[in-house]
Amino acid sequence: MAHDADVLTAGGIPAAEAERYGHNLPLIDGNKTYRQVTEEVFAPTERRPPLRWWLALAITLSMLSLGAWAVVQTLTRGIGTWGLNRTVGWAFDITNFVFWVGIGHAGTLISAILFLFRQRWRTSINRAAEAMTLFAVMCAGTFPIIHMGRPWLAFWATPYPNTRGSLWVNFKSPLLWDVVAISTYFIISLTFWYIGLIPDLATQRDRAKTKLKRAILSVFSLGWNGSNRTWSRYEMVYMLLAGLSTPLVVSVHTIVSMDFATSVIPGWHATIFPPYFVVGAVFSGFAMVLTLMIIARSVMGLQEYITTRHLEAMTKVVLATGMIVGMAYATEFFTAWYSGNPYERYVFLNRALGPYQWAYWTMVGCNVLSPQFFWFKRVRTTPWMIFVLTIFVNIGMWFERFVIIVTSLHRDYLPSSWAMYRPTFIEVAILIGSFGLFFTLFLVFTRVLPMIAASEVKGVLKHGDH
Amino acid sequence: MATTELRNSRFRASFTDPEQLLRAVAYLRAAGHRVLDTYTPFPVHGMDEALDQRPSRLPRACLAFAALGLALAAGLQIWTSAVDYPLIMGGKPLLAIPAFIPVAFELTVLLAGLGVVASFFLVARMRPRWRVPDLHPGANDDRFILAAELATDVQFPAVARDLADLGALESSLLVEDRFQRGGSFWDRPAGVGALLLACLPAFLILLLVPVLNRDFQRRNLAWDGGMGAPLSAQAFDASGVLPGGKVLQAPPPDTLSRRGEPPLAYGPGKAEADRAGRELPNPYQPTQARFNRGKLVFERVCATCHGREGDNNGSVIVARGAFAPTVLVSPVVRDMPDGRLFHIATFGGPTKMKGYGDLLSREDRWNVVLYIRELQKAARPGPTASTPASTGAQP
Repeated sequence: MAHDADVLTAGGIPAAEAERYGHNLPLIDGNKTYRQVTEEVFAPTERRPPLRWWLALAITLSMLSLGAWAVVQTLTRGIGTWGLNRTVGWAFDITNFVFWVGIGHAGTLISAILFLFRQRWRTSINRAAEAMTLFAVMCAGTFPIIHMGRPWLAFWATPYPNTRGSLWVNFKSPLLWDVVAISTYFIISLTFWYIGLIPDLATQRDRAKTKLKRAILSVFSLGWNGSNRTWSRYEMVYMLLAGLSTPLVVSVHTIVSMDFATSVIPGWHATIFPPYFVVGAVFSGFAMVLTLMIIARSVMGLQEYITTRHLEAMTKVVLATGMIVGMAYATEFFTAWYSGNPYERYVFLNRALGPYQWAYWTMVGCNVLSPQFFWFKRVRTTPWMIFVLTIFVNIGMWFERFVIIVTSLHRDYLPSSWAMYRPTFIEVAILIGSFGLFFTLFLVFTRVLPMIAASEVKGVLKHGDH
Repeated sequence: MATTELRNSRFRASFTDPEQLLRAVAYLRAAGHRVLDTYTPFPVHGMDEALDQRPSRLPRACLAFAALGLALAAGLQIWTSAVDYPLIMGGKPLLAIPAFIPVAFELTVLLAGLGVVASFFLVARMRPRWRVPDLHPGANDDRFILAAELATDVQFPAVARDLADLGALESSLLVEDRFQRGGSFWDRPAGVGALLLACLPAFLILLLVPVLNRDFQRRNLAWDGGMGAPLSAQAFDASGVLPGGKVLQAPPPDTLSRRGEPPLAYGPGKAEADRAGRELPNPYQPTQARFNRGKLVFERVCATCHGREGDNNGSVIVARGAFAPTVLVSPVVRDMPDGRLFHIATFGGPTKMKGYGDLLSREDRWNVVLYIRELQKAARPGPTASTPASTGAQP
């Protein structure tokens, strides 16, 4: 019975074990040739979109229009169209902001951190995940700008020389750190994504049938010709950008958490916030990547590129981060009790048992309980089950931000100021509009650019052969 | 003729597999041919070594831009927060280094990332082009192509046969010289130096602006200003902003002051009040100046309860129905000696009035006593009542 273990793979792992854990399995199914990869990856960008794509676009554009109408209402009639009051001055919009920023984190994590860790399975999903990051950060950025009330003055948040005498932004304010962090994150993510796209844009350029398409792709592919000298520099730049993005992605949600943690509001003023927020962001981001990928692979017929092994690897990340998030919830309660601070204790009791307890228990159920199903291999490898569970995680993570923001604010030190918050239709419409923006951009992306990094997939095609 | 020979000596071969390409490159180099470059759909690992290609120096550019980003971020934050716009916020020191870390980090990453990408485009000569000829068909799809220059005294057909044996799909001589040569400005060590040199003016300007305009000895630029030591302006500190060069300013006109007085030889209580009434005369003679000062103090401090005329008329607490204070123009108060009134102004009255000894200077309290006497004269019925207070106040 030990004869299986005598056969060792390159990594020194017994072949049977390696087989069991998928170490020597090919990353791409279907035993494809390089040409096949090119054809299949670029096919969606070269044929007419099917009817269901148009239907999906119609739905997402309707959502986007609803959101645009609500934003116009907000800007013309003022922030009074929202359900905010003097006690709860941050609620739905900041919840949405943190939610979308968090969603973005998975893209950078997949493209940068998994790259540095040599997790080669990332190649099938990194392009789409990075695109998701960009679209999510765009959605996130709209919320604080709308909340300003006068978004045409948003440039006041940047330090620019002005004629108002000596007048500069306050560099000691976490809100300014946030402006700088989110802008940097967007610019670097966009750069990283574009650098990754260049070789595929060149392939797309070479395949272009019309003159206009060829000209546009020629401009954006910057004369790429696959030269080894360029590849060698390209790989160096890619690695440097991955190295820069890794601490960047951690810093972004750390700084977002400092918007809350540097205040004196019970329930916000906690040193656990930075790691807690970063892990929550990875958790929600991976859930969103799974949700999107499960739809995309079946709609676009990419099951052989985004295999169940990819899905399984991501569910493991969701399970691990979900449990860290669960532990953070428990730690918050412990810290509140251990602090002996009556305000802190009250806030947490109020979260679990107060008027917003339904939101709190939705959050716990979705974020702590639902990932536990991923302990079963059958669940981890069944796309529809993953889809359902990741939807729950998305809902739970939205509620996490809502719970942190609203329950901490609505009852703090002064009982005479206690108040309740409920969103208005306008606020809900803006949230729907942000989903509309996100999915519209994603749908357009899947038809305009190669959703899978063809050049990277070709590089791992022979993985497991030797 | 030399150029034609050079052109005709270049050839290309294409393969379907990266391993074949690597073997072909090794073979050609061993046979003395010069392999110019390879063109592949993905980076073939081991090709840099096979081509004996130097590792890229782009990390140095990345480091240089990161340093530039850090310097700019540090300079911007320190200059704006501590020099150009020194506004104390939340009791934090003006030069709050820990609070500057997030923005400094973000800008370091931003410049390092954008800088290294810009350097990459520069060295790899990548720029937007309207038309890109497909020089090596399939290199971005599924072909692995090499371009090389024949060794002298070797004929191409022989090489082509060997390449075919190595698995080449096709090989051909190239007519035109259309390969990009390596070796741009970045591939020389001077390139990085030149970049740093180009950044130097920015650094110098950054350093010079505050040096020329500002005094670095000022408190807000002390490097030991920690977050734990809130910055607050102390009364006797020098100030570069306030008039007179001191934090402590002369009080505005008509401020009530009680500084620089010797201790009073009386304490609170009924017995002390009686003693003061017996022993203490008013040390000041009534003058127009004392009348004006007494009127100012009385109307600002005493009239709230006693009324402007000392008759409780207009008294806030009477109007609010709290209680009625003693009427100052009444016979009881008129008969009190000056020392007794001074004692009440200092330590408070027998019923509800509190003492104003800690708010009014001793001289002002005597001025108030003088003014009350004038009010009483004005209120007294009879011939003196018609005497205006101002004439009565003359010596």
